[in-house]
Amino acid sequence: MSDVQLADWRNHALTLESEVNKVVVGQQTPIRLITTSIFARGHVLLEGDVGVGKTTLLRAFTRGIGGGYQRIEGTIDLMPNDLVYHTYLGEDGKPHVSPGPLLMSGENLSVFFFNEINRARPQVHSLLLRVMAERSLSAFNTEHYFPHMIVFADRNQVEKEETFEIPSAARDRFMMEIPIVVPNDDAIMEALVFDTKFHNVDALVDTVKPDVLQFDELNAFSSVIQSSIEASDTLKKYALNLWKATKTPLDYGVKVSGVDMNRLVLSGASPRGMSMMLRAARVNAWLNNRNAVLPDDIHAVFHSTIAHRLVFSPVYEMRRTEIAREMLSGIVNAVSAP
Amino acid sequence: MQALAIDSQTLPDVDEGVVSINTIDPYKRVGYTVGDVIEREVTLTIKAPYKLIETSLPIVGYEKRYRGKVIGIELKNIEHSKVEHKDYTTHQIKLAYQVFTNSVVAKNVALGPEYLNLINTKNKKQLVKYRIPSLDIAVSPLSIFGQVKVENNMSQFLEPLLIKDDQERKWLKVAISALAVSLLGLLYIFGKHAWLPRMGGSFAKAYRTIKKLPNNETGLKQAISAVHLSFNQTAKMSVFNDNLDEFIQNNPNFSHLKSEISQFFGLSRQVYFEPNAQHSVGNNPSQWLLQFTKQCRDCERGLIPTTIKAGV
Repeated sequence: MSDVQLADWRNHALTLESEVNKVVVGQQTPIRLITTSIFARGHVLLEGDVGVGKTTLLRAFTRGIGGGYQRIEGTIDLMPNDLVYHTYLGEDGKPHVSPGPLLMSGENLSVFFFNEINRARPQVHSLLLRVMAERSLSAFNTEHYFPHMIVFADRNQVEKEETFEIPSAARDRFMMEIPIVVPNDDAIMEALVFDTKFHNVDALVDTVKPDVLQFDELNAFSSVIQSSIEASDTLKKYALNLWKATKTPLDYGVKVSGVDMNRLVLSGASPRGMSMMLRAARVNAWLNNRNAVLPDDIHAVFHSTIAHRLVFSPVYEMRRTEIAREMLSGIVNAVSAP
Repeated sequence: MQALAIDSQTLPDVDEGVVSINTIDPYKRVGYTVGDVIEREVTLTIKAPYKLIETSLPIVGYEKRYRGKVIGIELKNIEHSKVEHKDYTTHQIKLAYQVFTNSVVAKNVALGPEYLNLINTKNKKQLVKYRIPSLDIAVSPLSIFGQVKVENNMSQFLEPLLIKDDQERKWLKVAISALAVSLLGLLYIFGKHAWLPRMGGSFAKAYRTIKKLPNNETGLKQAISAVHLSFNQTAKMSVFNDNLDEFIQNNPNFSHLKSEISQFFGLSRQVYFEPNAQHSVGNNPSQWLLQFTKQCRDCERGLIPTTIKAGV
């Protein structure tokens, strides 16, 4: 029964990927990673410039998995209660309260998109982190639950003015950080500019086949994946060595050009980070029609699940993206299995 | 010593018939030049009661003079042995002289004479001398003075002048050496069992290791691990299924084995990560792996490996 269920859901997942790939072109890797995070039930931090298609991507996925989609823009004056409710004067001249983006879809909320999260104050981060960790919220003397919610947040790494850097503890709550970059294929770039179907996002998203997945069944099926895909002792040892290497890369001979490796890493990947990596690796193995995790599955999710969790010395923070990329590539090259 | 020599010459000669002499002189008497060594063997038979005073034997390095001038013949070595009999004693004396003179024209020089002192054992006061006769030889100049046609001026006592072939012999040795190196190179390139450079490569070591491993599950695991290690050492990084193309791009010698390497990673996957997965190396993976490692060793040495079939 489980094998049939796994195969059936895999077909749905690949259909969803295919549908989204039709709408957002040239982003196969981010789409695969988002699919992975959806089935691993992990929150995602999207990193990319303005106008590269992040919102379109998420809307396409939301249409495919069903459920509610809510979005909020991070601004410096955004307060935590803005996520929970709105107050306004009604036509009757009396004050009214309406649910904010978090509460608007109720328990059916499946995707919550926080745009430019690093423009919001730490108080807002704090609220969001609780919602991400516990998938619940206390408001109006009631406990609200969002069991099917996945948070997608976006941050612009280029602009630094009027932003609040997300602390490492907050970054650690995200399963993945996925870079979204403009594809460098000339044909795709030309299509994005000249093909009119990409100009109307609403119409474009409407072309995605709706409800390919059942959003309210994803949690249960995610458990099936995690329990069905095996990890051998060799694989566990390999993952453990990768973890150790993120803490003490120099012990594994990993070097980054122009960086004092003795001072670089203040903290490697967290236990939560490694468990999330394994969750994602299991999903990747399942998507590739395998019954066990291979090193290749770990490699597929290693950068996106680990890079944002590394805590570097402040002097290297400005270059964290390139340093993390080079360091993690070095780790993958240095650690062997078996 | 000079005093002794003078004394020797002033002593009376020994009576005739007491000493008999036999000499073996060199056949060549002419054509000597500076540095040449001339040997002469003298055998003396001295009848009793006379005996040879051995301290009177010629001394090595003594410079003989004639009319106060060094003649340029120097005793280089002397060997003396004797055999005593009841009525006589036989002395064998080997004398080696060296020429230390030269001239622009040929000139005569003499080896000797040498004077030996004898004593009458019945009358200790009677000392006599015996003269070993000198041997005349001719010393030739190193180079011919003036323009002379050598062939017309050759002495019948000189051995014929042969054409020197030292250069030719040297080049022959060089050519033979180059040929030998080339043959070794060809043997290395075309040989199935190359044993020259790159012998100690990673895959060569792995091949030797795997040959000693037992043909069971544990042995197979160790063998796969050894091959993985060889790949990693060759690539100087960890090689996985997802960076095989990069490995082959950086190590084009292995491009002949692209499909076999994929098969190996399939086998590794089945053994180490996914027991339910299928591999495509046949029923005897250990044997296949041994052959595969040998192929990799050939690639490592720059050879083109022979293909193997699964299950060999």
